[in-house]
Amino acid sequence: MIKGTMRWLDDRLGTSSFTRKAMDKVFPDHWSFMIGEIAMYCLVILIVTGVYLTFFFVPASREVHYEGPYAPLKGVAMSAAFASTLDISFGVRSGLVMRQMHHWAALVFVAALVVHMCRVFFTGGFRRPRELNWLIGVTLLILSIANGFFGYSLLDDLLSGTGVRVAYSIALSVPVAGEWLAFLFFGGEFPNTEFITRFFVLHVLLLPALIVGLLTAHLAILWRQKHTQFKGPGRTETNIVGSRLWPSYTLKSIGLFLLVTAVLAGLAGLAQINPVWLYGPYDPAQAAAATTGSQPDWYVGWLDGALRIMPAWEFRGLGHTVANPFFPGMLLPGLTFVGLYLWPFVERRFTKDTAAHNLLDRPRDAPVRTALGAATLAFYGILTVAGGNDVLAAMFGVAPETITNMFRVLVFVLPMSVFFVTRSACRSLKGTNAHPTEGVVGHHLRRTAVGSYEEA
Amino acid sequence: MTESDADSVVEPGAEPVPASSDRATERNIAVSLVVSTLAALGLAMVYIGGGQAQAEGALLMVALGGLGVAVILWARLLVPGPEITDERGETGSPAEDAEAVEQNIEETLDDAPGEMGRRSVLRLFWVALGSLGLAALFPIRSLGPSPGRTLLTTAWKEGLRLIDQEGRLVRVDTLVVGGTLTVFPEGAEKAADAQAVLVRVAPGLIRPRPGREDWAPEGNIAYSKVCTHVGCPVGLYQEDSHELVCPCHQSTFDVLDGARPRFGPATRALPQLALDVDRDGFLVARGDFDQPVGPGFWNLG
Amino acid sequence: MTAWRARLAVLLPLVGAGLLAVSAGAVQPAQAQLPPPGAAQAQVEAGRQLYLVACTSCHGARGEGGERGPTLVGAGAASAHYYLSTGRMPLNQTGVQPQRKPPIYSEGEIEELTAYVASLGPGPSQPHIDVSQGDLAEGYELFSNNCASCHSSAGIGGALGHAIYAPGLKPASTSQIAEAVRVGPGAMPVFGPETIDDHQLESIVRYVVYLKNPDDRGGYGLGHLGPLPEGFVAWVVGLMAMLGVARWIGTRD
Repeated sequence: MIKGTMRWLDDRLGTSSFTRKAMDKVFPDHWSFMIGEIAMYCLVILIVTGVYLTFFFVPASREVHYEGPYAPLKGVAMSAAFASTLDISFGVRSGLVMRQMHHWAALVFVAALVVHMCRVFFTGGFRRPRELNWLIGVTLLILSIANGFFGYSLLDDLLSGTGVRVAYSIALSVPVAGEWLAFLFFGGEFPNTEFITRFFVLHVLLLPALIVGLLTAHLAILWRQKHTQFKGPGRTETNIVGSRLWPSYTLKSIGLFLLVTAVLAGLAGLAQINPVWLYGPYDPAQAAAATTGSQPDWYVGWLDGALRIMPAWEFRGLGHTVANPFFPGMLLPGLTFVGLYLWPFVERRFTKDTAAHNLLDRPRDAPVRTALGAATLAFYGILTVAGGNDVLAAMFGVAPETITNMFRVLVFVLPMSVFFVTRSACRSLKGTNAHPTEGVVGHHLRRTAVGSYEEA
Repeated sequence: MTESDADSVVEPGAEPVPASSDRATERNIAVSLVVSTLAALGLAMVYIGGGQAQAEGALLMVALGGLGVAVILWARLLVPGPEITDERGETGSPAEDAEAVEQNIEETLDDAPGEMGRRSVLRLFWVALGSLGLAALFPIRSLGPSPGRTLLTTAWKEGLRLIDQEGRLVRVDTLVVGGTLTVFPEGAEKAADAQAVLVRVAPGLIRPRPGREDWAPEGNIAYSKVCTHVGCPVGLYQEDSHELVCPCHQSTFDVLDGARPRFGPATRALPQLALDVDRDGFLVARGDFDQPVGPGFWNLG
Repeated sequence: MTAWRARLAVLLPLVGAGLLAVSAGAVQPAQAQLPPPGAAQAQVEAGRQLYLVACTSCHGARGEGGERGPTLVGAGAASAHYYLSTGRMPLNQTGVQPQRKPPIYSEGEIEELTAYVASLGPGPSQPHIDVSQGDLAEGYELFSNNCASCHSSAGIGGALGHAIYAPGLKPASTSQIAEAVRVGPGAMPVFGPETIDDHQLESIVRYVVYLKNPDDRGGYGLGHLGPLPEGFVAWVVGLMAMLGVARWIGTRD
């Protein structure tokens, strides 16, 4: 049956020539090359569950009074969007699992993207000829973070609504154009009846289209350029060692997809995420409420942390204000992403290495790059943890002021120390096969020209 | 992991799977598939029975997991052997293709004898396209209203009485000392930017700003509830230290000192609402807040 | 009828009624609205004896307060019952926020101490709460508007400034919840009957009781701490599991 279909297609499309070459294509097998695939399969689950949710979600701000089965909200005024979320969670069979799977997939998706980006960074996989794919990758990261934010804000619950208010205020703080930017993006002064619909269009239509399009380009470039590989016996800059696309790589990839989905399904049913019925609807006018312990989803946590530990500085003069949230809320992410985009070109300028590379570095082989990357991770890690300063304060019985001040110091001290420690560790490990923490097992001996042995 | 410098017989990567464990692998595949099938059937039954989130998730995990394990074991079975080596080839095209493309483009854009010359015509093309592009941006203007003075004022006006979230009027003695309430202007209950927090403190404790000595009748003092940092409602009233704390980023405002920020990222005090008591004992506003409410922006001044 | 039977016919019901009255008086709870005057006075006196043993060093010989403790005149029965039944008083340590701990007094002793403190001056009396009369949805709205900013939407508590925290509400009994609302202990604001009337208080208590066992149909609740533990689980459980799968599938060289 399969053979018949293939012949039918080939007769009309000439697919077999392409398929023949494709089946033989070699892909390296290292496990860390699958991280991007993990992200991709999370995206597939996001799309599948997302389509399902779109059938039930009502992207409207009009006020309704809840009459569904969840008793504590009976009769409470809320947007139709929030009410439909409650219906999905309590009324639609398997609706809650779908919703939770969608949300868990989003969290793991961005985590996988970050780890994938780190893998590419620390092994120098962004070097010529792969700069374009790096740029596309960074763009995919930005789009995914944005789409996640719009997605969980769609529910119009108390927690995410507070986050939308914060985003609106950050937009307002942009110098010169801030008010216009905020009013045009959100459809007027916040809160209003416009933004849910807008977020819906962005989250369901525009951003997914951009993400899928860029991902397709990302994969096409990878296909064309062939994947990089680690150095090793039999591996050179001009060959590629691994397994063939068919049957080996395809089956392994399908298996990975199934197991990724299995993990997400397990989380979806067993670990509750975003119980919006406990928060209740976002109704800033009537309720004017917010919950303590308000954090955004983890991938926005670094922005929230930056907002919290930023000291109370702002510029006021000549009749204008550059408000405080601008610096941690706009400038910091702007510099972050510009830095990420420019990195391949900056590194090339400093190392003067303009050659094409198909072999990857081990992180220890590029001490400065690895140290900078580790320090950067430490920096954003501190910011992310700082986003939970009030929860940490309550957990450890310490004043939030103390925790905040501690993070203000750590955010500079920790990356600097991480940089120096990492660089020195890389330099001492460079050229050896020693495990970074275990040290050398056994000895490497080398025979000298005169016939004696010496440590290699 | 052994690694030798010279090319060796031991292939890098996957260890070859000995043939004798093929049967064991096949058995494992079969078991995985059976488990997966049972789980899928169980999932169907749970769904028919009304659904239960934990059962659905767990069964789906087992169903997919079993399939996934089976597929991977099958891949191992089919291709246990060493890795393949292939040539990469060049990423760039052969030189003659690249040159041919360049030449094609050049010929189209090249200058040829004529009155205006192709290059000037081309420049006009860019100008026209650019203008069209600019004009095409204008529909963006329809996305929202002009900010105008919206951010500078709220619905509070002189004489408007305070109401709470239940719609009840607030008397001067509604709050006990140490109490707090969220209030809105009468007639504008849904105006989010007008939300204010009313706190009652022992009158002697307040250190009023100059000119605000009579803004807090009998210790009833009202500030904007919209945090001047990024706009969260400042709902935490810490009664013993008389501070309003914002739950989002812990900006802390001193109620006794004109809601000046004592800690946290907020840079400006919460705007204060001047209060008065009308003839019937209800609290009324004397006008709008003393400052625009909420976070800062370019034209705040 | 003989004479003595006639006398019995009159006496027996009277004795029976008398017995009934006495037994009814005996089973009336201490905070009944009209306790027999003699019993109340005895309670206050017993409370004063307990007070003299443990409380005078901070609160003064007659509850007038001092350097180390506030005055109890006007604190009221609600305040005393709240602090004593949650074990926050007597304090283990001054200078830090009073912690909930197992009360050192029995219920009877707490009632006696409460009666004594109430006798010192007029103050908030213990609220009478019938949880079943509360409206759950009204309770949600009031809780969200008034309580969630400090105690969180799930009632698990949160940090305030100056190393003070709003405690989690799970261990609180219905009477303690109501008393705390009326008393405003420590950093908590005071919500008098003009702002939250008695029926609204019942609704709030009913909602807080619900929060002790909220609807967690989505699975393990992760402490109801929100996106923080969710992000943690996504990395440490979700992504780690998937990376483990990748390591199983792929090579390590």
